[in-house]
Amino acid sequence: MALQEPTALERFVNGILPENPVYRQLLGMCPTLAVTGGMKPAMTMAAATAFVLISANVIISLIRGLLRPHLRILVFTLTIATFVTIADRLLAAYLYQMSKELGPYVPLIIVNCLIISRCEICASKQGVATAASDAVGMSLGFALALASLATVREVLGTGTWFGLAVLPQSWPNWGIMVLPPGAFLTLGLLLGLAEWVGQKRRSGV
Amino acid sequence: MNDTQKQRGYISQAWLVILLALLYGGALAGVQTTLGPKIAENKKNETYNVIPLLVPGADKTKTVELPVTDIDGKRQRVYKAVSADGKHVGWVLPADGQGFADRIELLIGLDASVSTITGLYVLDQKETPGLGNFISGEAFRAQFTGKSTDEPITVVTFDPASGINEITALSGATISSDSVAAIVNSAIENLKGPIRELRITPRGRGG
Amino acid sequence: MDTFITLIQIAVGAALINNFVLHYFVGICPFLGVSRRLGTAFGMGCAVTFVISVAAVLSWTFTYYILRPGAPLPQWVWQTLGGSSATTVDLSVLSYIMYIFVIAASVQFVEMYVRRFFPPLYKSFGVFLPLITTNCAILFACLEIMKHLQDPTKLWGLHEALTLAVFGGVGFTIAISMMAAIREELEMCDVPRPLRSAGIGLITAGIMAMAFMGFTGVDKGIENTLNLLLK
Repeated sequence: MALQEPTALERFVNGILPENPVYRQLLGMCPTLAVTGGMKPAMTMAAATAFVLISANVIISLIRGLLRPHLRILVFTLTIATFVTIADRLLAAYLYQMSKELGPYVPLIIVNCLIISRCEICASKQGVATAASDAVGMSLGFALALASLATVREVLGTGTWFGLAVLPQSWPNWGIMVLPPGAFLTLGLLLGLAEWVGQKRRSGV
Repeated sequence: MNDTQKQRGYISQAWLVILLALLYGGALAGVQTTLGPKIAENKKNETYNVIPLLVPGADKTKTVELPVTDIDGKRQRVYKAVSADGKHVGWVLPADGQGFADRIELLIGLDASVSTITGLYVLDQKETPGLGNFISGEAFRAQFTGKSTDEPITVVTFDPASGINEITALSGATISSDSVAAIVNSAIENLKGPIRELRITPRGRGG
Repeated sequence: MDTFITLIQIAVGAALINNFVLHYFVGICPFLGVSRRLGTAFGMGCAVTFVISVAAVLSWTFTYYILRPGAPLPQWVWQTLGGSSATTVDLSVLSYIMYIFVIAASVQFVEMYVRRFFPPLYKSFGVFLPLITTNCAILFACLEIMKHLQDPTKLWGLHEALTLAVFGGVGFTIAISMMAAIREELEMCDVPRPLRSAGIGLITAGIMAMAFMGFTGVDKGIENTLNLLLK
């Protein structure tokens, strides 16, 4: 059984592209759609999620020997909720404007299925090093997915990237891209693109 | 016998959860005591930082928050803007109301005699990007400066507005513009009298 | 009368204008996952509405009496223990943990109650109940209620909290049922292969969100009409 579990390096690499949380596993869709109107909120969100994911994975992995199967989910939830509260307070103290902009989506990290699924799949079975590298890989993959979506939406919607103008002034800002429908359409098309590339590679080789 | 065993079973199974709950509770209490004051200050500063922009000459460290009861009998709060040398220079009213998309939160600056608007600031709004969200822009807000509080502000759709208390609506966002004017009008109407009373009330009442 | 207008505004806002799924993006997982058949989608919607109402009542009670800054219960305990009455006791740091357990408890409670007293209902949506614990729509409703219990000059009452929750659930049911109806038709269409998994669902949702944007401003119109009618 233990032999079949992926190693730390495999976990790390898998998280970024082959098992990308958004594009491959369709996890954590709620923040993916909600905060990607611009790069700044998207990256803050990715950082907050990474903080919670890494902390939760490390703690769960440390106490994995003591976990009782039926109390497992309770412990996961308790750990995640605590770290989300800490992340929320840190944001409110040091990045107040951003925390106001992200609003309810920071506390909603608690119900982001990505974190609980990593605790279940990896951290509750493997050692600290593996769990940590898995969390870092997954966080990078999540950040990458958020960045791809936010780039498309911010550039087309407001002509800027990270608040810096990248398109000429004459660009007619596609307001719809920063509104909710733009989020759905962009993610739908990007998922289709990822799928198309995947299918092509499989059939081509 | 069986019961005590069962009980011991519960404790041996749940000790980890209880221990974790205590640990996490401690961690959260620590976070709250270290960051709590800073967060409270951030919240306060959100309003206090813009007060000098709304009332010329006001100093944010001297400004104080006062409770006031509006003409409908609802409890509200206003900020009494005071200049660095201790002179009373104006008032700031927080006001909110329904916009086109969601609620709009405003801060309205008034002079000391509550007769002229000295500034307007949009704290929060979710109007349509590219149209209604220009209510936060300098150009739109500046129209309110210098308007009298004796008559309600009216919104017109031609440029430039010619009447005394008229402002020009944003093109493509008439409802957002109307909403802002309506929020300003109702806040001033509801609070003008009570604030003037605050002003003439003798200091004996704890002011 | 003002209360009545406020309640209508909250209801229309939660169900149509700021639809939980199509505007706030909460509850996307079931929206995409459980929307293949109209019947199941409707069952899921009902289950969510049920749980969201129970959770909202519980979380409003906890927030109002215990968790909000200056809440009566901790304030009383603090003063009984000899603390000064000038300090505001603020337990809001515990809110998130509290809510997630309130939600888990409401799911358990609703499941027990429905299984016991309404077996046919349990058969139709009982299977979704365990899934709902991690549905962000419910936590989102609790958080919205909490947001309106912060400023002591304008606190929400239980009726406002409950209206938001019930109509938020109704909005979710509307969105997921519409989605399922469209997807049943889509199965007979020739969808490009890369879009077949989730892509086409998201694009459909995007078009629905665009349609729902047409409701923006309706609440203001309703407010004006009612004001005219009632005064």
